[in-house]
Amino acid sequence: MKQNEMLAMILAGGRGSRLHDLTNKVAKPAVSYGGKYRIIDFPLSNCANSGIDVVGVLTQYESVLLNSYVATGRRWGLDAKDSGVFVLPPREKADAGLNVYRGTADAISQNIDFIDSYAPEHVLILSGDHIYKMNYAKMLADHTAHNADATIAVIEVPKKEASRFGIMNTDETGRIVEFEEKPEHPKSNLASMGIYIFNWKLLRKMLVADMKNPDSNHDFGKDIIPTMLADDKTLYAYKFKGYWKDVGTIDSLWEANMDLLDPNNALDLHDNHWKIYTEDVTTLPQYLGPNADIKQAFLTQGCTVDGEVKNSVLFTGVKIGTNTKIIDSVLMPGVIVEDGATVTRSLVANGVKIGKNAVVGSADSSAIELIAKRVKGDD
Amino acid sequence: MYSAFGIIKPTDRNVWVDGLEDYRAVGAFSFMGRYRLIDFPVSNMSNSGIDCIQVYIKRKPLSLTAHLGSGRHYNINSKRGDLQVLFPENRTEHDLYNTDIDSFFTNLEKIVEMPQEYVVIAPAYIVCKMDYSELVKQHAESGAAISIAYHSVDNANESFLNCNVLTLNKEKGVESIMPNQGTAKNRNISMDTYIMKKGMFLDLVNAAHKLSSMYTLRDIVNDVSCTMDVRGIPHRGFFASITDFKSYYDANIALINIKTARELFTADWPIYTKTNDSCPTQYFQDADVKLSVVSNGCLIEGTVENSIIGRGCEIKKGAVVKNSVVLAGAVIGENVHVENQVIDKRAVLLHVKEVISAPDEPGYIKRADTI
Repeated sequence: MKQNEMLAMILAGGRGSRLHDLTNKVAKPAVSYGGKYRIIDFPLSNCANSGIDVVGVLTQYESVLLNSYVATGRRWGLDAKDSGVFVLPPREKADAGLNVYRGTADAISQNIDFIDSYAPEHVLILSGDHIYKMNYAKMLADHTAHNADATIAVIEVPKKEASRFGIMNTDETGRIVEFEEKPEHPKSNLASMGIYIFNWKLLRKMLVADMKNPDSNHDFGKDIIPTMLADDKTLYAYKFKGYWKDVGTIDSLWEANMDLLDPNNALDLHDNHWKIYTEDVTTLPQYLGPNADIKQAFLTQGCTVDGEVKNSVLFTGVKIGTNTKIIDSVLMPGVIVEDGATVTRSLVANGVKIGKNAVVGSADSSAIELIAKRVKGDD
Repeated sequence: MYSAFGIIKPTDRNVWVDGLEDYRAVGAFSFMGRYRLIDFPVSNMSNSGIDCIQVYIKRKPLSLTAHLGSGRHYNINSKRGDLQVLFPENRTEHDLYNTDIDSFFTNLEKIVEMPQEYVVIAPAYIVCKMDYSELVKQHAESGAAISIAYHSVDNANESFLNCNVLTLNKEKGVESIMPNQGTAKNRNISMDTYIMKKGMFLDLVNAAHKLSSMYTLRDIVNDVSCTMDVRGIPHRGFFASITDFKSYYDANIALINIKTARELFTADWPIYTKTNDSCPTQYFQDADVKLSVVSNGCLIEGTVENSIIGRGCEIKKGAVVKNSVVLAGAVIGENVHVENQVIDKRAVLLHVKEVISAPDEPGYIKRADTI
């Protein structure tokens, strides 16, 4: 992509409080996913693969790990000259005190100076906590073809679930005529994915006005988009087809991991033409012992297994002892399951140790059990 | 701490790995699925605080240079450190004059300009964990002119036959470096790893070059061992010397045992390699994998036993892979039975039922071959 054509801003400040203990110490975009990734690897890799050179990451909640993680832009190849990943937590400025980001739009408003320094034609706004693969260059082509003021990526959701989303009502050309946030009686099933392309000059004007508006929530969905529609600006919907998941809860995070076990899953991490890049860890390959029995599973480097693993996802450095059973579970980086233990329908948090012969979770539980603390065994 | 730079020397004629070496230099050989042989000496140097490394390549530079890149993945300081790849442009592959000394001599300026006092010279065909800073310290404090690392073995009558043997006196002084004739069990195998001052190294290169155009570093060190203080420094821990096809196969298979692997790979001594950004490996409903080492990016539906599977391999339904080393991107088709093989990169086994060799004579499937 031509330099300065489009700059991306990733909103990564959310806590994700429904992920409970998983986000006690890290923000939701830094939560581990899919064996070796963190959620934010997806938008970052999508940017790199779409030819976007400059990415700002807006952090706020528990940002220490996230800041240092994304600052190493070379992981995603974003380290060429004049490109990079920039961490943008709230900061004190000469003419303004230190303010937290009051909303998604405010996070961008507080970084107008950063965006101005690149003078991009377009700004792409992304969410740091969605799992999907998308070519933003195609969306930009669509945006320019329509000569639009803004383009919003949408995905078709089942009608009965539509009232959980921000719904876009469009005319036959795809132009957005109405936006409804979580409507009781949805008129369409096109849900906003929280991915926006704006013409920077226009957005800048709107943000400056929004900052001064005392009644605003400073939110793209609640304020900026409705104002644009009211002002009769041209907004288009960009239909995305493919895998897309917002992992808000333990159950949905577990489910998103389980989706990877389906041989025909639409996310297709094996596609070498759209790789998802992540931290490069120095570990051994996977070591499978004489008693290993692994079926329907997703394993990454650094795992050692000498037990039974069925329908489960094992992250970097997981160690599974002898005579163990891991069924329908997700084991995050560094989990240790000692000899004789059984783990069923559980999500085990980073580094948790499950002791000898311990039994965790049960096959008939309705919700997935989150194991975030050490489970003592027989010894 | 003594300052030293590193040299990864090209292999002498005692090393030839049938099949694999047709395509790449020894350092670029895939090892244990995710590594290349050169990762071991370069990581050893990096972990020892050696940040300036020269890699000499005698032939087939492509895969090795692609793998080494800028050297960033070896954790070498990107400003003060330096990884140079040096290739003898005037020599052809099987040229008898294409010796290690010739490589050094043609690049003499590059060696002269190194500011460090000492040089550590190690080959790419030896797999081990070695703290060179400790070696340099021992060498400097001993007052020896040249030190050579060696490993004492008790099976030199049947293994290490292409290696050289150090004859040592009681003070660990080296009396000679001669090819292993396989006549005795207990031998001190030379690890082809030398420590000396840079000035000494330059003298040796010049002297060897004057004496004979076919001289190697080993030859000249052997010559001077009668007149100079040349000493051996023993090495302990995992050690493999990949000098032929069988030793390549054996070294891979030996490391399937996790206890053996833990001798070579420890948390405080990382072995770096270039990431490929492969996704994790998928095991399907019919997968049956035991006692094996598997890399990322594979799709496994079949049976794997006592084998090493490289990155991005596909083991299809009903396929059986036993006692084999499968390199990156290979495909073992449905119901194909493979035993005691080294299967080179991107080979595709589709139309055969069985590829089985005797355990003591493993077979080889060529790179990108379709069978």
